[in-house]
Order: sequence, then structure tokens, then C-alpha cells
Amino acid sequence: MTGRRRSVFVVMLALGIALVAVAPSASGATKKNDIVLRVGTTQDIDSPNPTVGALVSSYEVWALQYATLTDKAAADFKTIPGLAESWTASNHGLTYTYTLRKGLKWSDGQPLTADDVVYTVNRARSEQWTNFDSTIAHITAKVIDPTHLSLTSSIPDPKLPIMDVYIVPKHIYEKVTKKGLASYKGLDGIGSGPFTLKHWSKGLSWEMDANPNYWRGRPAVDRVIFRPFTNADAMVAALKNGELDAAENVPSSSFRQLQKAKNIVGVAGQQGGFDEISMNSGAGVGGNPALKDLRVRQAISHAIDKQTIESRVYNGLTTVADAISPSANPEWIPKIPADKRFNFDLAKANTILDDAGYKDTNGNGIRNMPKGGADITLRYAERSESPYGAPIREFVTGWLRKIGIGTSVKVYNDTQLTPAIGKGDVDMFAWGWVPFVDPDPELSYFQCNQVPTKADPSGYSNDASWCNPTYDKLYKQQNTELDHAKRVAIVHQMITLMYEQAPYVVLDYSPDFQAYRTDRFTGWVKQPANIGPVIFSNTSPSYFLLKPISKASSGGGLGAGAVIAIIVGAVIILGGGGLLLRRRQATAGERE
Amino acid sequence: MTFRFVSRKVLGSLATLLFVVCFNFFLFRVVESDPVSALFRGRNISQQQRQQLQHDFGLDKSKPEQFVRYLNQTAHLNFGFSFETRQPVTSEISARIGRTITLVGISTLLSTTIGIWLGIIAAWRRNTPTDYVVTSTTMAFYAMPDFWLGLLLLAAFAESFRWFPTGGIVNVGSGATGLSHLVDEAKHLFLPGLTLTLAYLGEYTLIMRSSLLDTMGEDYLTLARAKGLRDATVRRRHAVPNALLPIVTLAAVNFGFVLSGAIAVESIYSWPGLGLATYNAIRAPDLPMLQGLFLLFSAAVIVANLAVDLLYAYLDPRVRTA
Repeated sequence: MTGRRRSVFVVMLALGIALVAVAPSASGATKKNDIVLRVGTTQDIDSPNPTVGALVSSYEVWALQYATLTDKAAADFKTIPGLAESWTASNHGLTYTYTLRKGLKWSDGQPLTADDVVYTVNRARSEQWTNFDSTIAHITAKVIDPTHLSLTSSIPDPKLPIMDVYIVPKHIYEKVTKKGLASYKGLDGIGSGPFTLKHWSKGLSWEMDANPNYWRGRPAVDRVIFRPFTNADAMVAALKNGELDAAENVPSSSFRQLQKAKNIVGVAGQQGGFDEISMNSGAGVGGNPALKDLRVRQAISHAIDKQTIESRVYNGLTTVADAISPSANPEWIPKIPADKRFNFDLAKANTILDDAGYKDTNGNGIRNMPKGGADITLRYAERSESPYGAPIREFVTGWLRKIGIGTSVKVYNDTQLTPAIGKGDVDMFAWGWVPFVDPDPELSYFQCNQVPTKADPSGYSNDASWCNPTYDKLYKQQNTELDHAKRVAIVHQMITLMYEQAPYVVLDYSPDFQAYRTDRFTGWVKQPANIGPVIFSNTSPSYFLLKPISKASSGGGLGAGAVIAIIVGAVIILGGGGLLLRRRQATAGERE
Repeated sequence: MTFRFVSRKVLGSLATLLFVVCFNFFLFRVVESDPVSALFRGRNISQQQRQQLQHDFGLDKSKPEQFVRYLNQTAHLNFGFSFETRQPVTSEISARIGRTITLVGISTLLSTTIGIWLGIIAAWRRNTPTDYVVTSTTMAFYAMPDFWLGLLLLAAFAESFRWFPTGGIVNVGSGATGLSHLVDEAKHLFLPGLTLTLAYLGEYTLIMRSSLLDTMGEDYLTLARAKGLRDATVRRRHAVPNALLPIVTLAAVNFGFVLSGAIAVESIYSWPGLGLATYNAIRAPDLPMLQGLFLLFSAAVIVANLAVDLLYAYLDPRVRTA
């Protein structure tokens, strides 16, 4: 063996060893005729343990793995039977008694009884499980018999009878201590939903298998494989060439192009997400004194042209909005009456500021605080992590200049911005929220007790530092109002009040961009009907309802044979070239 | 090589490592951040739960207390738990390290060997069309940003021709074993590996070329030719070994950087290695992960430097006595 040949051999050997080493461990093999649904997403799961995980992709795992006591209708989130087939209220709506379906089983065949439900609720309450606590903090559960249980709330709770916490298998979780729960990996794969987690290879994929014991029956799809992509454009390419059947979080830049692609449907699914310009309204720490004045905030609301932002920044893919959306269900959003709306009107904005006494007393083009005070220059925080941060800042600061308000811009990443807001180092920023289905959590963020304080600048949700006692009073009312229609009316009143007080200029309702192939499966369902997303929705009903069109399950690309042929061809060409070079070198040497 | 020489180098490396351990703690705390708020924004958690999390993460203690605790843990090789996944940092890193070594290691190996080979050809045939083609092509690839080159290759070979997959490590769920599994992995490795190899080829080619050109002016080469040795022999036995010294330094340092991964290329091809892990950890910031990762990266570079010091002493006797 000559030196060169030996080094080539060593490189090949290293390559082979490395490839074997990198093979993911024990990935569940898919049988040839299995019906596999492949879903691309841009986010890996953080933890499949429902008491720890936080990311949207983890919620998708739990929505598939764990059936809930009550379910939500695909069309309108209406409460429908889940693990419980019926329930009755007593004790003035404080107690609900649920009847479980007969013969419920976990995916491993163990019976699922009232004991599992009661165990989950009571343990989650006493240990304050992160994703459970807000739902069950005031609820005590009691077993009546294996198919009956009661839940009693210590305060009137309008969310009941809805119980959408994930019921965990007692026979697994009772082995995990309170201390051990935080680091419990949650890879048991035992659930009661349509699919259960079979395998998770970090950053690479997670695979969920059909649960034969699901109460609605075994799904038609045998296995769902999720692939997290760190490059969304590559994900779009994978959808186009058939490596994927559906994709979540498609970049808005390629969404229009995907809509035109053959056999692909693009979905701009609304589930309550909204974007806003937030103004530091002064109830917290620091903040520009001008923004404490309602008239200044209203003038700014008149000076922001949402239509332009929608068409120029969001490329016409979002929906212009008036008020915050507290829920994925649009019934909670009030219609703002025409006479209360802050239409884009720079002249009106200027008049409001003039009348309020903010004049440009030193002639530098920027208005001053009354009585010849300082220039009104707002500290605008631009978020580096949002692709829309810079263009929105460009538009907004331009409009503010036209109404005589100056800005000083500083760029923050989200991690830095969070404490900066709490400490009052920022007057204005553009950010967004995605609410739950019940409006309570989103509404709770704007209470006075959520405003950042000097003592605790990080423990806040009210990022506009806006405090309104009427809003707080109404919040408490809706929180205990058991009559649904009345509760909706109170929530509408709260949101309208917040709109008038203008701590936020809500720009748009931002959809979740998704796409799916039409040549592999039928039965994609939007939640809520017509406007919602087809996957990664609240309860994600599509996966169970999908039916395959053809049995072909492998994606595009070349077969192994063709690739071997290509590699062999490349080796021959390279090798031939090498030999040729060698021969020419030899003659060159001889010539000398 | 004396014992004294070796021990001095090893002690120097250990001192650097100790400095890195301390420095890492402060580096990620210079910019003020609030991991609990950042990780839990928009989630419905109570004030009490927030405080509990601060406590679990050890963030309720003062900075000096946190530092002492960190030093104590690190001394016991305990790198703590990731804030985001609540799993031990060591298991988070070990899940990814193999992938990074495969991708970046193989491409570094390939770009080194091919780069040296091309450099030799270019120098030996200096100012010929071969030289121009080799030098300008490798320079062009070297000048291209790796993320851009990666996107081009992806668009061409994964999207248009569909010869290779769009990302990942294996065709998930194919259940392939044996040879077809290996072929599957090679298919996934091909594009990211090609990107990195092409991107770093130029560095080696240029250094090898200029180093060999320097050597070619030496008297002993003239002597070797005068002896009547064949051109190839002169090159292999007399020119190349002497020209390799600068390449040894470059290659060793680059191999030290293998572990840090290649964030851009890993991200384009959804290759979940250490580079991506670092990127994700910076966002929260997931302090224990960052400390663990940076300690590993620094240690790798320090060890590579130590290796090159010792190797140099072996290759070039002048270094030993210096």
C-alpha cells in the first residue's frame, strides 16, 4: 500500500465508523405497509413530560397522547364529551359529577378509571404543576366509583365543566416523586389519546404510534413522524418534493408561492394570535410622563396606519385588527363601534396633542411637555428576533415624527427586552401574544397586579404598565360569572375599555402558516371551522380523522441503488482523473 | 523531549482551562437577562410558581453565591441541569456530540487532505493553467459565505434534482438496517459535508501552496534534483514534509474547533449538533448549557493546542530547545 492509498483507506474507514456511530439509537422501525404521516415543523419538543415542557410542539405531543375529561369541538371549541360521556352540575355550579365511558384503557392495556383522573387533579394542585395549576388551583377531586368522580371548586369557576388538563397514568406517575418530576423525561409513551410517543431523537424527529385503545377507536394512520427543521425553506422544499405530508410554521415569504404549488394547500390558520405596539402607560417603574396621558396614547393610536403595516410589512397575509384577542375562539372579541375607533388620521392626532397643550415650544420640530418642559422623545425598542421588527419601527417612528413626537431607537433581543420593560427602560415596542381558548389567562395579564414593580421588576405580565381599576373589577366578575352569555358580555366590555384606554395599538391578527399535500391524505380539519389551522390547533383533531389516499409512504428522492450508482460513478471519474494526473506528472518528471 | 518541557506545556494548558472555567460564569452574565421570564412568557404561571422556578434554577441567590456553587459543581464534574429541558447538561451534550464530530470532523478531514493535495499540485505547477484553476476555484469557495453555499447546494440537489434529502441525519422511520442504513446516512451527510469541505478547502490549498513554494527555493531541493531523483520523489521525500509544518498548526487548531460545530450549516441542513445547541441555549439564556458547552469547546481547543505544541517539538527539534 502506498502512502496515498493508505490515507484514502483511513479516510474511508473513519467515514464508515462515524456513520455507524451517529446512527440514532433504537428508532422504531416502520413496517412496509404502515400508513405514515410525516409532519415538518420548525421547533423540536423541549420535554414530553407535561408538567415541564413549554413549547408549542410539546403541546402537540400531549394533545395527541392524552385524552381529556371533556373535549372541544373542532368547529367552534364547544365542550363535548371526552373521557367522560356525561356530567351533571350541583351545589350551585361549584360541583360537577362526571361519568366516564365504560371500558376505558390506557395504551398499555391498563384500565383507565376515575382514580387516574382524581390522582392527576389532586396531585397537580398540591404540587402546583406548571401546565395544570391555572386550571385546577381551586379544584378538589373525589372518586365516587371506578367510572364516577366529582370535581368541586372552592370558588365559582366559569371554566367548569371544561376540564382540559392532560390526565396522566397513575400507574406510571405514582412512581415519580415530587422532586424527581422536574427531571422526569416523560418518555413512558403511555396515554389515552389517538397517538402515543414511541421515540424521540433530539433535534431529529419524534414518532407517535396509533393507540389501539383510544376511546374513539384506532386511527387510520399507523404512525405520525414529526421532523423539526432548523431551516424553514428546507422544510418547504421537503413538502414540495414529497418528503413531508404537512408542514407547520411555513415562512410567510414562501407561503404565497406554496399556495400555487401542485397538490399543496396553504392554510393561514387563525387561532387568536395578535401583534401590538405597546406603550408604557406609566403605572409601573419609569416610563415617559407623556404616555401617562390618555390623550397622547390616543393621538398615537390615530397616527399608526395599520393598513399600511398589513400590506407593506406583512405582505397582506394577516388581518387588520382593532382590539386584543383573548382567545382562539373569535366569539370573545368585541366589535369596536365606529365612533370609538382610532382611524388613521394624522391631522386629528395633531389636533388632539395641540389641544392637550403639547406644543413645540423650542421650535425643533418635537413637541414639548406642557409649560415649556422637555422634548417628548420616546424610547422605542426594536426586537431583533422578529423579522418585522425593523420595518415596523421604520413606519411607526416616521408617523410619530409627523405628529411631533421624537423617538430614540434601541435594538434588543427578547431576553434583554423582558427585563428592560420591567425596569421601565423602554416606552414603546412591537410584540405579540398567542392566547389560550379560555379568555381568562390573556385577560389576567392586564390587571394592575401584573404591572412590574421596583421590588420585583421581572415578575410581571402587564408589559404596558397599564392599570385600570374598572378593568380589574370586571376581570374578577368574569372570573366567577357562570352564565356564559353574561360572561361574554363582560369580556367584551373589558376589551372595549382597554381599546379606549389605548395601552396597546393592536395591529393585526397573525395567522399560523401551514401547508399540506392533497395527494396523500384526506380529512384535514380546521379548528375553529373555516379560519383555523389544520394541525397544531388547540386539540388537533385532524390526525385522528385523516384517511390515506394511496398506500405509498416513502418520500421522493433517489433509491439506494441509484445513489450507489452515483457514488460509484463519482469514484470512477475522480479515480480516473487522479490516474491521468499521475501519468502526466510522471512524464513531466521524466522530461526534466 | 524533556519531562520539563512537557510538564510546562501541560501546566500552562491547565491554567488556561481554569481561567476559562471562571470566565465562562461571568461571560454569560454580563448582559442582564431573566431566563425564567424569557422561558415562560405568555404561559399562565403564578407568582409563586415563578419564584419556585427562580429557586430551582438557583437564580434567587446572589451572584457570588451562585459562583461558588458553580465552581464547586464544576470541580465535581457536575454541569447542572438545562433550564429548558431540565435534563443534565452532560446528557444534552452527549446526545449531540457524535453528530457534530461526524459532520465537522469528516469535512475537516476531507478539506485538509484534499486541500493539501491541491496545494501541492498548484505549487508544483505554479503559473500554469492548473495552478490558476485550482487557486481561483478554491478561493471562490473560500470567499463564499458557508450558509449561502449551503443554500445553493440545497436548492440544486435537494429541491430541484431531488438527489439528496433536505435535511436531518437519517430517513426517519424507514427502519433500514445494514448497508441501506449506511447509504441513507451517507445521503444525508453528503450535502452538509460537501458544503463544509468546499468552504474550508481554500484555506489549506493556499497555505500549502505558499509553504511549498517557499521550500522549493531551498538549496537541498536543487541538490536532490542534481542527484538525478525523479520529480515525484523530490516532491514527496524532500519538499512536502518540510512544507507541512504550517499546515500541522492550522489543521490541529481547526480540529480543536470541530466540537464547536458549524452553526450555519447545521442550521441549514437541520443537523442537530452542538452548534445548534449553542444557538438555542444563547436565546433563553440557558446558563448551565452555555457554561457546559463553552467549557467543552475551550477544552477542545486547549487540548488541540497542547497537541500541536508537543507535535511540533517532535517534528522540529529547534522548538524543544527554544
